[in-house]
Amino acid sequence: MKSLPVRQIGLLIFAGLCILAPGAFAKKQTKAPAPPTEKAAPAATNPAFKKTIGNPNAPITMEVFGDFQCPACRGFFESTVKQVIDDYVIPGKVYIIHRDFPLDMHPFARQAARLANAAAEFGQFEAIERALYDHQDEWSAKGNIDEVMASYFPPTQFKKFQTFESQHISEINASIERDRAMGMQRNVNQTPTVYITAHGKTEALPGGGVDYKLLKSYFDYLLRQ
Amino acid sequence: MATTAIPTETTARTAAWPRVLLAIGRIALGLIFLYAAYAKLHFEGEWHLRDYHFLFAMAIDSYKILPIPAVQLMARVLPWFELALGGLLIAGVSLRWIGSITSGLLLVFIVAMTRAKILGLEINCGCFGNNEKLGTATLIRDSSLLVLALAVTVGAFLIKKRRDTVSS
Repeated sequence: MKSLPVRQIGLLIFAGLCILAPGAFAKKQTKAPAPPTEKAAPAATNPAFKKTIGNPNAPITMEVFGDFQCPACRGFFESTVKQVIDDYVIPGKVYIIHRDFPLDMHPFARQAARLANAAAEFGQFEAIERALYDHQDEWSAKGNIDEVMASYFPPTQFKKFQTFESQHISEINASIERDRAMGMQRNVNQTPTVYITAHGKTEALPGGGVDYKLLKSYFDYLLRQ
Repeated sequence: MATTAIPTETTARTAAWPRVLLAIGRIALGLIFLYAAYAKLHFEGEWHLRDYHFLFAMAIDSYKILPIPAVQLMARVLPWFELALGGLLIAGVSLRWIGSITSGLLLVFIVAMTRAKILGLEINCGCFGNNEKLGTATLIRDSSLLVLALAVTVGAFLIKKRRDTVSS
């Protein structure tokens, strides 16, 4: 009698939870799928600056909120995104959308984002993204982005980027701000932050980048569904 | 008669307090563990019983401690392990051993978090779902849970010892 009530109460609570939990689960499982929200369907890319890679009709969309001066973004791009492009984007399974999320701690991130937006206007987003991340060390200390990037593009093409950037600076800045505002609305608090959309549902991956093997197994699972 | 009855009742009431405190402690800890498991299996408004481990594996991997196969195994097992621990704590079954295991698990979590903080990793905790950033508050919370788990464990051992003494 002395020790019984406490243990009995515990057992009763646990038994109650065991009974209630599957009920709640069944309720959720039978519920009709929620209509796609703004989050579930990746928002349309900025009509002016197409910062995307791949086929928009791919079954999986990967949105990356990134900052071109952020070392973690470079690490994620070099070790994961490049392999995703080779294995999933080129075969048409994944569509990548870049969202600008320049962090205040990186003084040249906006400048790099402006150049990337201008290059995107000429269908060169993937090329400029590769060049910016591959050579981040060369420009991130002094901010000599144009000087460094110019050597990786044909001069006439790079001139077009620069001219476009200078002529459309307010639209480009507005585009960057729209991306940033979208990130803030979705509680992005670090870069890179990645969202995966498939089968009408969007999941946020843990911030700071993801290992390629783990992302690959997730993509393969989503593609099998 | 009355003079002897009052001390006996008082002694019995005093002896019941540790049990009540222990019950409150283990039920609170058990509910927290159940919630931790629930948050790993149910997020974005629905259950993820078939795919919870993909996102959780990414959260574990961000600590940069384990190789990928171990990360994947841990991601699959940990939510169910937490669920079992939570259930057993609430039920009060084998409390000395369940309390010891819970304390050990919390200690492992705290060591991993402290290491991540020292290395300056900007990662999510992965404790209650995917959205909580690892910070000082997370460490304080988990340390408090460890203190509670240790108190439950020590309490369970002490009560067992007292019971053995009384019966012998």
